[in-house]
Amino acid sequence: MATISTSFSPAPRVPWYVWCAVLGVTSAMIGGQWDISWHRSIGRDTFWTPAHIAIYLCGVLAGLACGYLILATTFGNLSQLRGTAVKMWGFEAPLGAFIAAWGGLAMLASAPFDDWWHSAYGLDVKILSPPHVLLILGNLAVNTGTLILILGMMNRARAEFRNKLEWLFLYIGGVVLVGLMLMIMEFSWHSLMHNGIYYRVVCMVVPLVLAGVARASEKRWAATTVAAVYWLFWAGMGWILPLFPAEPKLGPVYHQVTQFVPPEFPMLLFIPALALDLLWSRTRDWNLWKKSAVSGLVFLAALIAVQWPFSSFLQLPEARNWFFHTNIFDYNARRAWMHYTFFKPDAPTTFLLEMCMAAAAAMVTVRLGFAWGDWMRRVRR
Amino acid sequence: MSRLTVVFLLAAASALAHVGSPDVYYDGQAGPYRLLVTIRTPSVIPGVAEIEVRSAANDVETVHIVPTPLLSEKSRSNGEATFAPVPDLAQRSKDDPQFFTGSLWMMTSGSWQVHVTAEGPQGKGELSVPVPALSSSTKKMQGPIGLVLAALGLLLLVGAVSIVGAGVREGQLEPGLAPDPARVRRARWVMAATAVFVLAMAALGGLWWNSEAGDYDKHIYKPLLMSATLDNGGRLILHLTDPGWARWRKVDDLVPDHNHLMHLYVISLPEMDKVWHLHPDRVDAGVFAKDLPPMPGGRYALYGDIVHADGLPETLVTEISLPEVPGKPLEGDDATGTGPPISKADPNSTVAQLADGSRMIWEREPGPLHAKRAMFFRFRLEDADGKPAHDMELYMGMPGHAAFVRTDRSVFAHVHPSGSVPMAALGLTQNAGDGGAAMAGMSGMAGMAGMDHSGMMQALPPEISFPYGFPKPGDYRIYVQAKRGGKVETGIFDARVEK
Repeated sequence: MATISTSFSPAPRVPWYVWCAVLGVTSAMIGGQWDISWHRSIGRDTFWTPAHIAIYLCGVLAGLACGYLILATTFGNLSQLRGTAVKMWGFEAPLGAFIAAWGGLAMLASAPFDDWWHSAYGLDVKILSPPHVLLILGNLAVNTGTLILILGMMNRARAEFRNKLEWLFLYIGGVVLVGLMLMIMEFSWHSLMHNGIYYRVVCMVVPLVLAGVARASEKRWAATTVAAVYWLFWAGMGWILPLFPAEPKLGPVYHQVTQFVPPEFPMLLFIPALALDLLWSRTRDWNLWKKSAVSGLVFLAALIAVQWPFSSFLQLPEARNWFFHTNIFDYNARRAWMHYTFFKPDAPTTFLLEMCMAAAAAMVTVRLGFAWGDWMRRVRR
Repeated sequence: MSRLTVVFLLAAASALAHVGSPDVYYDGQAGPYRLLVTIRTPSVIPGVAEIEVRSAANDVETVHIVPTPLLSEKSRSNGEATFAPVPDLAQRSKDDPQFFTGSLWMMTSGSWQVHVTAEGPQGKGELSVPVPALSSSTKKMQGPIGLVLAALGLLLLVGAVSIVGAGVREGQLEPGLAPDPARVRRARWVMAATAVFVLAMAALGGLWWNSEAGDYDKHIYKPLLMSATLDNGGRLILHLTDPGWARWRKVDDLVPDHNHLMHLYVISLPEMDKVWHLHPDRVDAGVFAKDLPPMPGGRYALYGDIVHADGLPETLVTEISLPEVPGKPLEGDDATGTGPPISKADPNSTVAQLADGSRMIWEREPGPLHAKRAMFFRFRLEDADGKPAHDMELYMGMPGHAAFVRTDRSVFAHVHPSGSVPMAALGLTQNAGDGGAAMAGMSGMAGMAGMDHSGMMQALPPEISFPYGFPKPGDYRIYVQAKRGGKVETGIFDARVEK
């Protein structure tokens, strides 16, 4: 390989543009939960609701930080970063900056698309529509870009600075997990937790993040930390949102609402994550395929062991309090939905099939996560 | 008895509650305040309805508006209940203090009501206006927004490929190193594979989009289909069938409106010079029949107005070609009228000469008529010697009925002095207990001053007015019916409407 000039040494402090990107992804994470709660309690929104602004602020902050980073590395006073930059379309910047800038653009492009979608097909209130998926993809790209921006520095850094960046990396891993959990929210109501589809969908998403981030990190409890970030954020929103008053601004109103409706109590994912961390600390020498297969099964088994009984608990009167908040319903919740019952159980063959698919999905996503983690460990720019 | 089946054609069904006239007009009394309410319904549901409220006098200070679903008697007796969301404060116009506007969300297809609360020095007054919330169309992406989004989409696709390429080529290089040719080659292959992947994803996204659009298309309102036949005895048979739209819409849950399950307008084609207002009887589920009066052979347009149990009105449209029908005399509330052929229409004429020498006069304000503008159409009846008619009566409980028909028949609206809402739906808003309003509103309707609450008749004024707004420019024919001296009079007028 040819050598080109390098004068780069990692700064001892986390640069402002990284903090700016971290702030952006945090803003979108809060905005996403806030917006969903807004739709469940107030109902009506415009583009300019505070929740929407918090979401799109992510695109703006990522765009500003990464735009600056790209331009300053290419033309300006960050030219010393060129040695740790990648080149694209004549510009030079860390790889994460390009990914986050792409995500910011996708998020901003989703705004007029969503607006047009509403005028063409109605003001949909579902999470998964094409413009919403573009928004979520953009947000995931900003999250990933921020992750890689941190990774590039982390993988080059030593000692204390690396340690600081590791924690930031795990936090962003948690943010990525929150984003994905928002995306599958329609499949993860606690009333669905005795149906196979819930386990299949969770296994299609969660192991990827846990395995990927843990593989790229040197922290022993990386997966547990990522799951804990998700849990603390989700539970925190569940405790904070109902403190604020809200009332429905569109009908039909089947249930009187006086406060912001919280998200459902978070899944206890830190327990399956802990099981994975323990497993991985004892199987360092295993073949990755074997390790993925066992990890997938361990994850699913731990998930069932935790969420099956926990969701039963959430149906009990003991959970109808401020902590578990199962006593708060959407304004459009019909009486039939408020009976604290599970969805119709699967037929035995359906359930078995779903569980087999869940196990297979968990094995595959762990393996994909390992591959992604290995790639991330090698990122230098 | 063998049936003589005649040719019938199903007309294009671009209807809402009326045909091609989705906006709702209502003139009523909110306590002490008389209000003209216009509701411009959205073309997609969920969507935003625009509400306009005009007070007849400068005595209203604030107007609040709120929408709620209108439930059938059965739903209410089953315990289904909804609460009202927080009412919106309508904005008062700076230029016109008697004019208030607001926007309301209609979240589900079906029968809704907009509850209006007016407040002023005389206290608070309320009324409710039934509104059918129905999707009428979806949009195709065109114009600048399409170009901008296509450009952004292309930029994102190419950007994704380039980012992956940059990542593979240089992302894992130690600082300061330049990529070797093998790495560059590998990056090119990965970029090619990524391009295929993102194009496949874009294609899948397109399929998903089409599938979503197809789902929305299924929500577009389709009125019940009506087919017409004539049996040997000169009896018109109407069959109502459901083309499949919403499971909750039934063929046989109709409620009477002015004592009739169906109000059928029969208009001669192509000259639109003869009109019959008939009331077929239900003979079976989704089947109506009517002995026709004497009618010349020819082609006729049929518009059947019905109201479902939840207050949702529909206008069912068809055509029929008839041989000469000897027919039976008109009976009950049935009525007929004749005017000049449409080919000789005079949109400037404001006088309709009636059979007994009396006249119906359109008290039209000077100047052109404009589309989408709520206004009162006022008509006066005079006897043969030019004096105001003194023997006016209610016709099916109303001082008058008017049908506004665009000459290309893309618009049909059956309007009363209270507006374009059916009385049966208005009754439901009253029963819902949140209008008290509805009937109180009726007592204040234009032309209703002569009817007291007990239904005792006093002399009705010789003038009738109808609140309405033409939905689009074009030539219209207006059929106005009022009853005097025991006979229903029909005046036919023409209007040219500008933008």
